[in-house]
Amino acid sequence: MGLAKWFKTSFPVDNEALVEMSSEPIPNHLKKWWWALGGTPLYMFIVQVITGLLLVFYYEPNVEEAYNSISRITNELPYGWLIRSIHKWSANIMIASVILHMMRVFFTQTYRKPRELNWMFGVTLFLLTLIFGFSGYSLIYEQMSYWAMKVGTEIAGATPFIGDWMASFIKGGEDIGQHTLTRMHIFHVMILPLAMVALIGLHVYLIRALGVSDLRFKDEERVEKKTFPFWPDHATTELVMVALIMFVLIALALLFPVHMGERANPNVTPIHIKPEWYFYPVFRWLKLTNLFWGVLGPMIFIGILYLWPFIDRFFEKIAPKKDLAFWIGVIGSLILTGFFFWEIVGH
Amino acid sequence: MKRKEFFSSLFAFVPLVLGFLGISKISVDFLNPETGNAKIRKIFAISLEDINIGESRNMTDLKGKEFLLIRTGEKKVKALSTTCTHLGCTVYWQQDKNRFYCPCHQGVFNPDGEVVSGPPPKKLNSYDTEIIGNNVYIYLKDKEA
Repeated sequence: MGLAKWFKTSFPVDNEALVEMSSEPIPNHLKKWWWALGGTPLYMFIVQVITGLLLVFYYEPNVEEAYNSISRITNELPYGWLIRSIHKWSANIMIASVILHMMRVFFTQTYRKPRELNWMFGVTLFLLTLIFGFSGYSLIYEQMSYWAMKVGTEIAGATPFIGDWMASFIKGGEDIGQHTLTRMHIFHVMILPLAMVALIGLHVYLIRALGVSDLRFKDEERVEKKTFPFWPDHATTELVMVALIMFVLIALALLFPVHMGERANPNVTPIHIKPEWYFYPVFRWLKLTNLFWGVLGPMIFIGILYLWPFIDRFFEKIAPKKDLAFWIGVIGSLILTGFFFWEIVGH
Repeated sequence: MKRKEFFSSLFAFVPLVLGFLGISKISVDFLNPETGNAKIRKIFAISLEDINIGESRNMTDLKGKEFLLIRTGEKKVKALSTTCTHLGCTVYWQQDKNRFYCPCHQGVFNPDGEVVSGPPPKKLNSYDTEIIGNNVYIYLKDKEA
């Protein structure tokens, strides 16, 4: 028996089915470059997994050695600074692209029937991305990251009804310490990646099952054929996008490499404390409100995000063609952007 | 669904659901053990001869958390936690403004630890103290086992 025949017998995959699977019809608007950015968070996630796997070979998840091990990665190991810089920058690009992707879906209203559930999976992916950022940042165990972890766990603790249980679960005890770091590590390198892979799978499956929504532009010519094949046409566009994004990512890592902050001191909060940029709006909100609303506000916001496809349907029913969803989106985005810049310039 | 099929499904799924609930309960309890009530210990803090009225000293409790011991009168001392009651950051004593300031979310407390402005929900925590002769004792929670 020839090797090819043996392989085909042992691995009976239907080639024709594969060709059919990869020839998904793609709507014409995705020929425009700007619309081919949806895969960016996925590429960044793959970069995170690869660089994360390299980093975890040297990272030591204990309170005495965590900072030292990251310092060693950054300052001593060959290309350690580059791998860590790419890990950090790809996390930032991933979060930014998830936010932009969500805004695009929101303003083009592609969350509408029958894509409500996929929007909800998307919101969960957005939250997972933020928790990824939070848990990864906590692992560094430098001053800013330690206090970000402290504030983050206290916020969890202030959640109505289940706060005490949640804080104790995250901290693994009464206060931040070794158990907290262990938990952050397990979440960051094990639980979150598995959850992320499962959810990305569901998200992409539903995109395939429901089809990419077809958008038309006013200046677009009416053409007979509204779609084009995924393979090889769209795949080539995506590859060019990957190359471009990788170029930007490496340029950022080279021009703005990561550095080490001060080692964590559980007794002294830095006088100028800021979280990572994606938590700026929440951080500002916490300064403006009491603890109850400080915690409840973001929860209500997330609740509205989850239920938005149904809230939108309700608005459309009571005030059809008034573009309420659009204006609520504009006002919401302006408030969040306002809080973001306020936190940048304010104390 | 026939009766036989119904009972077959019941026998298959009920143990599965119960097993799942059991494993969940065990996992949650394992990951979130009850922390027993730590013992309170009475510890010698300072002699009154070593601190004048109006002065304060930074001290550390048995868990390594800093607090401030302030002598407020001839036979009066106060021990204030420097952990902000909002989200757990450390407050700074600002001598020039006669206040405690939290850098995280701009909480402000007066010298007695009461909230002046900002989001903190309650005054700074304090520790019980006792003066015997010239010696100041403080009641502190022991470290968890």
